[in-house]
Amino acid sequence: MTLLTYREAAIEIEPGEDVLSALLRAEIDAPHSCRSGVCQSCMHRAVDGKPPAAAQQGLSEAQKALGYFLACRCVPDTPLTIVPAREAEGRSEAFVRSIDRLSGEVVRLRLEHGADFAYRPGQFLELITHDGLGRHYSIASLPQEDPYVELHIRLHTGGRMSQFIAEELAPGSRLHIAGPLGTCIYEGVDPDQPMALIGSGTGLAPLLGVLRDALKRGHRGPIRLYHGAREREGLYLHDHLEALTETHANLSYVPRVLNESGHQGGDVAAAALEHEDALSRTAFFLCGGEKLVGRLKRDLYLKGVSLKQMRSDAFLPAGAGR
Amino acid sequence: MSSLYERVGGEKAVDAAVDLFYRTVLADGRIARFFEGVNMEEQVAKQKAFLTMAFGGPANYTGKDMRKAHERLVAKGLNDSHVDAVLEDLSRTLRQLGVGEKEVQEVAALADSVRNDVLNR
Repeated sequence: MTLLTYREAAIEIEPGEDVLSALLRAEIDAPHSCRSGVCQSCMHRAVDGKPPAAAQQGLSEAQKALGYFLACRCVPDTPLTIVPAREAEGRSEAFVRSIDRLSGEVVRLRLEHGADFAYRPGQFLELITHDGLGRHYSIASLPQEDPYVELHIRLHTGGRMSQFIAEELAPGSRLHIAGPLGTCIYEGVDPDQPMALIGSGTGLAPLLGVLRDALKRGHRGPIRLYHGAREREGLYLHDHLEALTETHANLSYVPRVLNESGHQGGDVAAAALEHEDALSRTAFFLCGGEKLVGRLKRDLYLKGVSLKQMRSDAFLPAGAGR
Repeated sequence: MSSLYERVGGEKAVDAAVDLFYRTVLADGRIARFFEGVNMEEQVAKQKAFLTMAFGGPANYTGKDMRKAHERLVAKGLNDSHVDAVLEDLSRTLRQLGVGEKEVQEVAALADSVRNDVLNR
């Protein structure tokens, strides 16, 4: 029996030995620093098997649920297959089910995928073209209900993937997906806790996934969804979300348009920072451009919100990874 | 006599100090710019490792780690005045948490002992 598998390779591990030591002994250049379970540099993810609880101490509930662990604290007693924390494992086929414009810039892409692609709403995947071009997109669908993964994709003028999606993709087109990755999921949230979902642009995709997951799991606390866009057209699910507040009394929807005055005009981050008051009790989900997410996270943290209360997904420019 | 780490309050003290310390540092205009664009979760974990070391606790921080971790910041102009600011913030944090003056001094001295590694010289 092999106790430890790294990517595809079996790694020799002594009884009582920790995973980090075994990796280093096998001459794998695993990142590490403190070797005492504090700095988290040696974080890995178990894609098969369950890491011991001691190896997950100090991690968020989302990280624990997704199999993340600290290699230096991990002495496995059952077989584990692991990958570096930020590596998307596996690659599988997907077929375009539908492709629709939600606004001038935003496309909704629904992909049919095999049973081996399991995800939690709010995570992201890598979409890969036949030329090997890959980009990360967040997942808005709910696996229990939707027989597809739903992505919201903002088309950038001159972007290679944007051009491919706009000009070449049609129902039936074949693509590859890898992943999922990301920890911005409904996990470790108390059903009665207030939730604040804050995002801009297609940051709405993971927030919609988290929102649907929360409602499906019977979340009872108030949920406030803040969505910001530059122009009104960018509030691409406005009517759908308005309608959702009619059927869910605990949900409120707060749209903000940057280039507009009036009661829905202004900056979404400012609106959220101004409205949110139960800071010590609220579960925050922050999604969108890295500037917005970074600013919200920092400002909320300085106001006393702990990082454990915040889950986030910051979109980075193409090629920078996430 | 018990160790500094025990006297300060061990891992519980580190947990109590880390958020307070990081907030103080982020709000400190002298050094805030060095923390721009960093991953905050990773940063908190690193702060925790740093505090564990400064509290005389079980940490395997090596000079090499310290040098590598701060190389980029030295290139951005990190110098003695910024290290002084961090040490000042650290002492203030500890006093806010009611740590005794003798221990505050000991922690500051331990933290200061990595100055040359931090500044890559």
